[in-house]
Amino acid sequence: MDYRHLRVTLGSILLLIFAVLSASAQDATAELEALKKSAPKVYLDCGECDIEYIKNEISFVNYVRDRKEAQVHILVTTQHTGSGGREYTLTFLGQNEFSGIDDLVRYFSKQSDTQDDIRKGLVRSLKQGLAGYAARTPIASRLIVRAEEEARSADIRDRWDSWVFNIGGEGRFNGEESSLRNNFGFNLTANRITADWKLRIGFSSHFDKDSFTYDGEEIKSSQENYSADGLLVKSLGDHWSAGLSFAAASSTYDNTRRRFTIAPAVEFNLFPYAESTRRQLRFLYRLQWENVRYQEATIYDRTRESLWSESLSITLDLKEKWGSISTSLSGSHYFHDLKFNRINLFGFIQLNLIKGLNAHIIGGGSRIHDQLGLVKGDASLEEILLRRRQLATTYNYFVMAGLSYTFGSIYTNVVNPRFGRAGGQGMTIRID
Amino acid sequence: MKKLLTRKIFFLLAAIGFLGLGGIGRAQNTIPSNGLPLPTPKIFLTGPDTAFFQTETPFVDHVQDRTAASVLIEIAAGRDAEGAFYALEFKGVREFEGMKDSLRYRPAAGESAEDSRKGVARILKLGLMRFVNKTSTASRIDISLQASVNPTAVVDPWNFWVFSLGGNAMINGESSYQSQMWMGNLSANRVTPEWKIRLGANLHSNKSVYSYEDFDYESTSDSLSVQSLVVRSINDHWSIGATVSASSSTYNNIDFNLILKPAVEFDVFPYSESTKKQLRILYAVGPEVYRYREETIFDKKKETLWSQTLSVSLDLRQSWGSLSLSLSGSNYFHDFKKNKLSLDGGVSWRIFEGLNFNIEGGGARVRDQFSLPKGGASLEEVLLQRRQLATGYNYFFSIGLSYAFGSVNSHVVNPRFGSGGGGGFMISF
Repeated sequence: MDYRHLRVTLGSILLLIFAVLSASAQDATAELEALKKSAPKVYLDCGECDIEYIKNEISFVNYVRDRKEAQVHILVTTQHTGSGGREYTLTFLGQNEFSGIDDLVRYFSKQSDTQDDIRKGLVRSLKQGLAGYAARTPIASRLIVRAEEEARSADIRDRWDSWVFNIGGEGRFNGEESSLRNNFGFNLTANRITADWKLRIGFSSHFDKDSFTYDGEEIKSSQENYSADGLLVKSLGDHWSAGLSFAAASSTYDNTRRRFTIAPAVEFNLFPYAESTRRQLRFLYRLQWENVRYQEATIYDRTRESLWSESLSITLDLKEKWGSISTSLSGSHYFHDLKFNRINLFGFIQLNLIKGLNAHIIGGGSRIHDQLGLVKGDASLEEILLRRRQLATTYNYFVMAGLSYTFGSIYTNVVNPRFGRAGGQGMTIRID
Repeated sequence: MKKLLTRKIFFLLAAIGFLGLGGIGRAQNTIPSNGLPLPTPKIFLTGPDTAFFQTETPFVDHVQDRTAASVLIEIAAGRDAEGAFYALEFKGVREFEGMKDSLRYRPAAGESAEDSRKGVARILKLGLMRFVNKTSTASRIDISLQASVNPTAVVDPWNFWVFSLGGNAMINGESSYQSQMWMGNLSANRVTPEWKIRLGANLHSNKSVYSYEDFDYESTSDSLSVQSLVVRSINDHWSIGATVSASSSTYNNIDFNLILKPAVEFDVFPYSESTKKQLRILYAVGPEVYRYREETIFDKKKETLWSQTLSVSLDLRQSWGSLSLSLSGSNYFHDFKKNKLSLDGGVSWRIFEGLNFNIEGGGARVRDQFSLPKGGASLEEVLLQRRQLATGYNYFFSIGLSYAFGSVNSHVVNPRFGSGGGGGFMISF
């Protein structure tokens, strides 16, 4: 028996099996890559998603950087839920080859969810929404749908009757040899939010204490604010609501020892409230009574007063494929003297109308004729530079505008974490 | 004049707003937004082999009676110019009223009947997802690709190069205060699994005017910078690369500087797990050329220095929360006493359901401020933080604890009277 010969034969058989296996594996990879080329092109329009994680977890689509290149535009909008979590509305809009194929999926996060819980939930909802599009492309042949065993459904009876309580505290400390800045905040809320009623009660306090050293001299500066507020709203159909708000506050910035306000109000929304995550045009009218006690005598020689006023505000919020708009215009005046009035305008527009071109403009301005609480004496230079005091002004404004043009590769499939993320430049604005 | 401007702005915004309104269609698929999921779809399936397709889709309920169903599915075989196919027609009724879809499965040439049947079942499952994703069953369904695929498997005439140019402006003011800020940027990037190339230029200019007792205090700061980064992937743990940057900054008293830093990085965890965990160790060494705006406290107008930096960064994003920690040390070779050690980090930890703890902070021991100007800074520059000041350390930290209890599983959205319920969105630029 020639064992050596047998060994060689066995070895060559194994080698052959290995070669066949690896060749078929290579074929499978090459085939999958070919299928990926025709996978759905997706534009994910979501400012708060963990995009890199999503790209890693959902690899059966191609991601593009401009909405006009996409076959599926996914618009993600969020709203707060009554329990302090968020409702994510995923609107799938088919475009080009998938024109007319739309879907809508909702995902709810809880207040105590970690970033990881939220991104996992969003990925699941995104996958299920994308399944119908992937089913129309050849990559469907490589997709696996798995269902876990059904868990026993939890008891959904709510022994708290929709009440949610929250307690929070925060401290911020900041320093170097010549400057020291400390801030503390504390807040307490109790909310009960149902489709018919909205009840919010809150208390918050905030302290700032700063000190600077200049020319061997120490400059100290501090600020204190307390406030308690409440809101009760009753739903009156799809378009109307009525409510009552009250607040008690104290602020060194505003020169108020205490301010108490109570205001009944009524609101009309041109769009049904059910569409509020995508569009709302709300008109809110408030009639307000306030009682103020100042810390120091005002320029009008008052230390306390009671006043009636009214205000009207119009708010438009739109989130569409082509961009978003959020504007609000409000006006108010006191009844005892109509000269004491104020107009505020805020607007934000973000547009992507032309391939690659993104524009945004944010602006706001106020015409102010109602600074009843101004302190008689002058503010110090530190108070001005550190913005510790409300100063006499008849207006204020800000405008931010930006334009960017991007061209080149449309695909953004790659996640490359080496040497850190893009980093640094740019900024993020959150509008609530 | 001011009034006129306010009015003009208002009408412009109003016009844009209503233009927008004109272009809006009705929302489709208006499923109830009370947060309650729909009941599991009840499927009535017609066509060949229904028993097989029913066992393949156990995550939905199958009914024998058409009138009891919430989704009707018809599977039919057909043939057209391209060959044989199976057509799957989905039609929602009752709570799924108005939803319909039609999908096709086309068997490959010479495919066995068993393979075709499995192929149809796969399309059936994918087609069911748009119904299932509105029910509580959604939470136990996962869809995945059989094998991982290279993200660059696409046809791209630009070879992954992306170019961008942008500008931003910001102005604001009131009677006794005005400020303006201008920014411009240019970038060219190419990111693939093998290479990361980022080239960019930024321009930043800032000016504020404060009025106090008939005096105007003017304060400005400007900076210009050009950065580039090239990284080559070696394997799943190692990368090499280099950064080149040139900048000027009034805050730092720098008229011009050029920094060249070749570097090497090691990730203890594979890079492919970077969105869940990474522990990166980066070492960089290279020359720095400085030309100062004003003579420094060390009587220098310009100098060239060599330095090295070692940094360790840990990033974890897990189901209990997230953690990021970064420790970095650097020193200059001409004088080892010129060094800096900094630590930054943050933890967001869900201790248990309802109780969340956040801490964020950073601090540095600073022994390398050689660009400080001899002349010092004015009071306004100190208060407005317009100048780097001499310091041996700096730190910041914030700590927060919040506890929520009660009816924390409610999904109700009530947008009335805005605030706290209103839609929020985020803009990044």
